[in-house]
Amino acid sequence: MSEPSTPREPDGSPALSARGLTKRYGSTTAIESVDLTVGTGVVFGFLGPNGAGKTTTMRILTGLIDPTAGEARVAGIPSDDRARLVDHIGLLPEEPPLYDELTGREQLQFAADLRDIHWDAVADRALGLCDALDLSEDLDRRIEGYSKGMRQKTAFVQAVQHDPDVVFLDEPTSGLDPRAAKTLRELIVDLAESETTVFLSTHILPVVEEIADEVGVLHEGRLVAEGSIEELVASAGADADDRTGDAQADDGVETGTVDDPDLEDAFLELTSRAETAWTADR
Amino acid sequence: MRALARDAWTVLRTEIRVRVRTVLGDQRKLLGTASSLAIFGLVVPWFFRENVVSFGEEAAAGTIPVGPLGAAIGALGFLGLSIGASTGFGQETAGNVGPLVRTSVTPIAVSLARLASEVARGLTIFLFPAFAVLTFLGTGYGGVALPALLAVGVLPVILAALLVGRIVGDAVRYLNLAVGVSLWVKAAVTLVVTLAFFVGTQALLFAETADASDDGESPLTAAASIPTLFPGEPLQAYAGVVTSPVGGSPRALGWVVGVVAVLAVPVALVVALRAETRLLFRKASGESGDESVSGTSGVPRPFTVGPAPRIAWRYLLRTRRDPRILSHLMIVLFMGLGSLGNVISEPGSIVYVGPPVAVIGGAVLSGTAYCMNPLGDDVDQLPLLLTSVDSTGVLLRGRALAGVALGLPLALGVGVPLVAVSQSLLLAAWLAVLAVVLVFAGAGVALGLGALVPKFEQYGYMSVERPHPSNYVIFGYLIGTAVVGGLGFLLVDQTASGTAGALVGVGWTVYLAAVGGAGLGGYVYAHRRFDDLSVDRF
Repeated sequence: MSEPSTPREPDGSPALSARGLTKRYGSTTAIESVDLTVGTGVVFGFLGPNGAGKTTTMRILTGLIDPTAGEARVAGIPSDDRARLVDHIGLLPEEPPLYDELTGREQLQFAADLRDIHWDAVADRALGLCDALDLSEDLDRRIEGYSKGMRQKTAFVQAVQHDPDVVFLDEPTSGLDPRAAKTLRELIVDLAESETTVFLSTHILPVVEEIADEVGVLHEGRLVAEGSIEELVASAGADADDRTGDAQADDGVETGTVDDPDLEDAFLELTSRAETAWTADR
Repeated sequence: MRALARDAWTVLRTEIRVRVRTVLGDQRKLLGTASSLAIFGLVVPWFFRENVVSFGEEAAAGTIPVGPLGAAIGALGFLGLSIGASTGFGQETAGNVGPLVRTSVTPIAVSLARLASEVARGLTIFLFPAFAVLTFLGTGYGGVALPALLAVGVLPVILAALLVGRIVGDAVRYLNLAVGVSLWVKAAVTLVVTLAFFVGTQALLFAETADASDDGESPLTAAASIPTLFPGEPLQAYAGVVTSPVGGSPRALGWVVGVVAVLAVPVALVVALRAETRLLFRKASGESGDESVSGTSGVPRPFTVGPAPRIAWRYLLRTRRDPRILSHLMIVLFMGLGSLGNVISEPGSIVYVGPPVAVIGGAVLSGTAYCMNPLGDDVDQLPLLLTSVDSTGVLLRGRALAGVALGLPLALGVGVPLVAVSQSLLLAAWLAVLAVVLVFAGAGVALGLGALVPKFEQYGYMSVERPHPSNYVIFGYLIGTAVVGGLGFLLVDQTASGTAGALVGVGWTVYLAAVGGAGLGGYVYAHRRFDDLSVDRF
């Protein structure tokens, strides 16, 4: 029976790194040469349009699939070494992986059993999270009767109750009411403050803007930007200004400038820039 | 009407396209379909080839054998009825049309399309064997007139049977959805009805063959004499009508049967359409088990000794709450019913038949309950499982233990006491050894088979949509277990009798090595295969 908390990597190496990560399915390229570095205790917002390759990247990082090329390390462990990796990660996929026939409490106990962790060792933490998410009263009901939000909350607790080094969250606020979504955002920040690295994939840009320390933008399988939100916004704003300037020079008409661009503007700019570059390459 | 036809055609086309793509896109399914077609379309007809050819020759000689012809029409009707009923109950569909029928397509169009799709599929099942049989018939008859007449003549019977069967299946499905009782009650009712049907049929057959034996007739001949069991007269009369252009003798009763069969087609179609349209909107009552019941179950003492037993307990707990998890065992039940035949005809034989059935049944249950599709039926939970366990071995052992927890009580609790009471304690002791070996090894072998042919895609079976294990693999495992179990019984018998000591010793050594090795090998194979599992394909 092992203990829930695993030792953090003491050598100062990044919590998560990827070099040249590529995944191909036949002639289709899901992701291409993705390089990533995320430090310990960082909330990393992973953004990208539908089909950009976010889920594929998360699956590689969590050891669920192998890359075609490149390598990734999570908590210092190669991502293809699933046997060692599982001790350091937690995963909340887009579809909560729960058993309808179990109660919420039984599901959490089952998740602890899978890791050979005694329930008593994680119960305080798990039940505390359930309390924070207003889930406690429903823990002894069967999951088949749960709403989408309750399933999401249960799956979140399941992913973090063993205090992983790195937690991967795919659209964690999906299906949550505003109050629960706010609580979850606060819990994510708490996780990061306790040195857990959070890899957060979402389409909800305000969530990323509020809690992410760093952001990566994936577009058509390529990481088109990585850095702090301020850096991304500044970079996108400067580029937009350049393009506005170019447009003015071209047709002599003032087309307007981007005032106080935010993450959404930066995201749109970055993904459209990549689109333009991709089209130009062709 | 045109809009209805257009909508129905759209849905029908989509359903057929999806099904064809599903088969063509999966080599295993393609192989399974091709094998089934080859078996039912060629091998089975070839088996009856001589009878059919001689039937054609008799007809050519001017004597239409309406007896066998009536029996054949009856058999085809029964087959159609069975197919219709099973598809009506199972309602295998390409997708959920709930939102569609509420927003864009009329429900009747969906029902029409699905009915047409099922009838087309049902007729396809008949098509290949029918072509072969009619070819043999034409060869014997020396022309196409008789085969053509029969093909046209049986069509309304088959169509009517498919549709009437469909209504029966719909009705059972409706009852299943409407009756708000627990899933266990439904499972128990299904079990009792199946057993009652089987026992009733066996008793009827036994009574008929016993009567025939009393009359000095061979039981085999009597069992094959369909008219003694079924209302053969109307079918024979109908056969006379169908074959009247080539020398058959039409009678009024035959014409009545023909008219009823032809009229039954549109009537059954309308009834089936109405029933299925209603069912489209019928939400299951009690379908989700005892959802309202709350309460967390702790892990009982025997299962707390390690992670695998705790995982095993969760499988058992889930099954207790939703027995549909074991719906794939119906095929095991159907196949196991055969062994009841002897007991019905000779109740005293239970002391001889009971122990092997219980021990082999225990091994079958141990293997088939949770091990035939390991991780396949956990496909939705794979992201949790594969990112939580450092090796899939713990999951596999959990499944095996859950299966053993079901199989061992059957093997030891029923088989061994029966032998202890009826024969000797020594024999019972050896049987207990055999039971333990078979039950544990069975789980291991089943894990290996399940890893060899995992099924991750969901499909409907016994009206339960989930990734069921392959029926072919279950069938193979069942046969294999019966053979291996039979050899084990031979060894137990020889050991208890005290004869040929050295030879029996060698026999035990080889047997235990082979069975134990197969069980261990199956587990190791599954372990390696699933440790390398990638979710790429999902």
